[in-house]
Amino acid sequence: MTTTAENPNATASGDDAVLQVLNPDGSLDPKHDPRLEPAEVLALYRHMVTTRIVDERLVALQRQGRIGFHIGSLGEEASIIGSAYAMRPKDWIFPCYREFGAALLRGMPLQRYLDNMFGNRNDPAKGRQMPDHYTYRAANWGSVSSPIGTQMSQATGFAWAAKLRKEELAALVYFGEGSTSSNEFHVAMNFAGVFKTPVVFFCRNNGWAISVPVERQTASRTFAEKGVGYGVPALRVDGNDIFAVIAATRRAVAHAAAGKGATLIESLSYRMGGHSTSDDPNAYRSKDALEPWFGRDPIARLRQHLERGGAWDDAREEALRSEIEQRFRDAAEAAEHTPPPPLESMFEDVYESPPWHLAEQRTELLTGPRAPSSHH
Amino acid sequence: MPQMNMVSAINDALRTAMRRDDRIVLMGEDVGKVGGVFRVTAGLFDEFGDDRVIDTPLSEGGIIGTAVGMAMYGMLPIPEIQFADFIWPAYDQIVSELAKLRYRSGGEYPAKMVIRTPVGGGIRGGHYHSQHPEAQFIHVAGLKVVCPSNPHDAKGLLLASIADPDPVLFFEPKRIYRAAKGDVPEGDYTVPLGSAAVAREGSAVTVLAYGAMLYEALDAAAKAAEQGVECEVIDLRTLWPVDIETILASVQKTGRLVVVHEAPRTCGFGAELVSLVVEKVFYHLEAPPRRVTGFDTPFPYSLEMEYLPLSHRILPAVIETARS
Amino acid sequence: MAKFEFKLPDIGEGVTEGEIVAWLVKPGDKVAQDQEMVEVMTDKATVTIGAPRAGIISALGASAGDLVPVGHVLVVFDTEGGGAATGAPAAAATPAAPAKKNEPAATAVGDIKETLPGMGLATRPSEKAAAGAPSGYHDDKPLAAPATRKLARELGVDLKRVPPSGEAGRVTREDVERFAKSGAAPVSAGPAPSASPAAAVAPARPLPPAAPVAPTATETRVPIKGVRRRIYENMARSKHTAAHFTYVDECDVTALRELRERTQRFAAEEGLKLSFLPFIVKAVVAALKKHPALNCLVDDASQEMVLRHGYDIGIAAATEAGLMVPVVRDADRLSVLELAREIQRLGEAAKDGRVQMGDLGGSSFTITSLGKLGGLFATPIVNYPEVAILGVHEMKRKPVVRGDEIVIGEVMLLSLSFDHRIIDGHVGAAFAQEIIGLLEEPDRLLVSMS
Repeated sequence: MTTTAENPNATASGDDAVLQVLNPDGSLDPKHDPRLEPAEVLALYRHMVTTRIVDERLVALQRQGRIGFHIGSLGEEASIIGSAYAMRPKDWIFPCYREFGAALLRGMPLQRYLDNMFGNRNDPAKGRQMPDHYTYRAANWGSVSSPIGTQMSQATGFAWAAKLRKEELAALVYFGEGSTSSNEFHVAMNFAGVFKTPVVFFCRNNGWAISVPVERQTASRTFAEKGVGYGVPALRVDGNDIFAVIAATRRAVAHAAAGKGATLIESLSYRMGGHSTSDDPNAYRSKDALEPWFGRDPIARLRQHLERGGAWDDAREEALRSEIEQRFRDAAEAAEHTPPPPLESMFEDVYESPPWHLAEQRTELLTGPRAPSSHH
Repeated sequence: MPQMNMVSAINDALRTAMRRDDRIVLMGEDVGKVGGVFRVTAGLFDEFGDDRVIDTPLSEGGIIGTAVGMAMYGMLPIPEIQFADFIWPAYDQIVSELAKLRYRSGGEYPAKMVIRTPVGGGIRGGHYHSQHPEAQFIHVAGLKVVCPSNPHDAKGLLLASIADPDPVLFFEPKRIYRAAKGDVPEGDYTVPLGSAAVAREGSAVTVLAYGAMLYEALDAAAKAAEQGVECEVIDLRTLWPVDIETILASVQKTGRLVVVHEAPRTCGFGAELVSLVVEKVFYHLEAPPRRVTGFDTPFPYSLEMEYLPLSHRILPAVIETARS
Repeated sequence: MAKFEFKLPDIGEGVTEGEIVAWLVKPGDKVAQDQEMVEVMTDKATVTIGAPRAGIISALGASAGDLVPVGHVLVVFDTEGGGAATGAPAAAATPAAPAKKNEPAATAVGDIKETLPGMGLATRPSEKAAAGAPSGYHDDKPLAAPATRKLARELGVDLKRVPPSGEAGRVTREDVERFAKSGAAPVSAGPAPSASPAAAVAPARPLPPAAPVAPTATETRVPIKGVRRRIYENMARSKHTAAHFTYVDECDVTALRELRERTQRFAAEEGLKLSFLPFIVKAVVAALKKHPALNCLVDDASQEMVLRHGYDIGIAAATEAGLMVPVVRDADRLSVLELAREIQRLGEAAKDGRVQMGDLGGSSFTITSLGKLGGLFATPIVNYPEVAILGVHEMKRKPVVRGDEIVIGEVMLLSLSFDHRIIDGHVGAAFAQEIIGLLEEPDRLLVSMS
């Protein structure tokens, strides 16, 4: 339990202490080291690099007009990959919308993710939602929604249901620090506190809610201290230190598994890009504010650790990057050339089976004029 | 066959369903030990315990939000919103989440539940204990909306709502919770969703009504008959998807339509019913369709009997429609 | 090598144009996929756009500092295999319209367009009209319930003639039935149409048998359908969409007449009759080549001019069903005799109602031969989405001034209409004069023929 030097969001007081494992020299603090196997660390590094490359490639596709939108996780890879990695296969994840890296880690194929980015007929959401709003039940992964925080009370209800049914599992829910201002945060924390539901509230404090900085979200000193009001224990963790994120999340899962209920984790990181491809942070954020975070890049920090043990070098990095880029290119190409969902699919899944009015409207669509193809 | 009122019939339906399906949990404010402020859940806490009949914190958003999570898990929650007037904090979860989950997840998360809530005025409940907000839910793709008018239908429709694969809003007309009495079969039976009932046959004017206003429509119909105007009164029972065939068959017979509902007129459910009739059987109409509804004001307290579309307002509308 | 055009995409901030900040590639460069190509500054951000595919840059569609609209061709690639050319080459693509700056259309998500099809089409009723008497409930419009109107139609009863007994002068069902029984009701032409717009259901009450009535209707109503419906819609759309202006001039075709006389026998050898039309088509194609802006379709939805590379010329033909426009495909590749044969084939097919779907649609310019009934001049309606149409009038012998003499010449009037949104007046005039010049000196036509 150390430093605040790395992290300007933290203060020096003991209550605000930030869990950190990865030391500036690349060594690990043995006290909180989650003791991962070397192969595990390499796999995590690989996932983080994948996340970043996919992010970069998707921004490029969006700039080329090939996809409409992307919401990325630049700078938050350790926070996202580490927390998802700490969850057991039987656990569930309720996503916000910035955690595609975690979905890939949990087993959603890259191809399915890119199918969602293109909204084609292989998209798990059947082309009904915009890019980055996927679903993947096979990996115990929820459905991405845009309204802020709605997933929090759902995760609480889900975990509560498991508890009522005597099934031991935990549900991790992602949200940004901006979401702590929503009704849903209060509601979910309160219900989780009262019913001791096995939930991990994983707050990605990345400093910004689109253009609004943390000091406009709350007058609390930290987001973690909000847990006190609900009787939910909380801790703060260096979100750019994947070992610390894993240690903290494992602690929360153990707490849940012991029947003690929920934990609130405030993961301190920084949104190094815009809110989404539709946003330009230069309009509201100075370059000076961003600058220090380049030195805390979670991928660079993990690489430093790997190189320190001789487990990584430039050649391996180059091979990894080109392999991921090739995989991405193939999947994007396939997704781009997969046709959009069939017309009649518009009327499926509104109800289990379409009532008379939808049957009428389906006929109206199928026999009516087609829209000028503006999208495909 | 036992005589029941609406409250005991709904209670009986819940007990019947909970005994055979342990995925069902009741949750809401005061639904547990005290058995609900209208006593609809009385005795269920004792029979099923606090894991299945759950008193929740005072938070409609939390009740529905957590119920959505439970439904995603595979439970079958039956949350209660104590008064429909208090449903709005949960509206986001109902509209953005519950109604859309099956669709937006490509069928992966169906999220089934039945939301029970008392509706309607005439109980001296004022502004916030009297509203009848069906239109706001009928408008949302993915929801079904039910409103029974008698104990037999209340039990049968609730059991059908629980068995139905889609989310259902079950509106309980609280003005007739205890006044509407009748024979209710024992055990399990359903009144199918999407089917209306002809409550009185007639050939002069079709009157569409539901919930507590059904009785006002029947009263007006009896008085109209004294003046030689025979109304066909239809109890819609399921508001959405509405039983269009029964409505059209009746209007084709009578050529005249009056719609009754408590909610305000503008963009109320009556607007949709009139549109459907005009679109589908225009050339059978002998007279302009007419709506007898609550006024476009907030629900008033002292003047509630003037606000509600009671028999005294339905009768002249029916007579004028029959004679025009 | 195939060509691939990369157009400035809408990069999702609701911007409609971007300023080229810097090019990172130049023509002739070989680029890899995703290699950075260009920096573009939009209202909200400066972004770097990578190459959507590998290839050799063959052209750049704008220079640094240019403000280019979304959809403008930025880069033309030569790619190895695949990737057919789309639309016009960069040079001929949508010109960079003068764009307005400082109109942010911000969004966190999605694409907020500055303009969409249909905008600007709303017309505000004039105050005078708004203040005028309310329409409906008019003396000459009988009042009746929908079911009564339907009954009246089925019985062939004209509601205007039925004495109303209902409230406020309303015609009741009984009024209609009484009127029909009285024998006063005239049957309009034939029985009522059987295709009722109402659902196919049994009538509410049994209908009384229609009384025999005398055929003295004051009018006959004929549904607008089939070819007439197409004409109805197309003409209205053109007239309401294109900003028509018409240009008329005369043309001395004495030389053309002589040429036709001389060449008639070549046609006769092939069993053809040689009219002036094939020559006129030749002149039009030659003029279109000189003025490519006229060989164009306007895409109102995308706000683009679609410049056509082929010369598919519509020839309006009057038929019994109504006006049709069969199309002479690739008119530039046909000789005068081949044109004559094709025009004859299409004309006969149209007249006999045998015209194939493949012979209709897809033209980029239309000629309407107004002939003997053409009058002095006319204002043809552009065959939308084309931007110009040529109306050809009858040749007449008229006094013509040649040098200082008045002689009898063969004079023909040409009426050209243009879509002024796309075609400026002087452009249309120059095009018309080009045709006139070619028809007055058909030798020029011969020597310039490709």
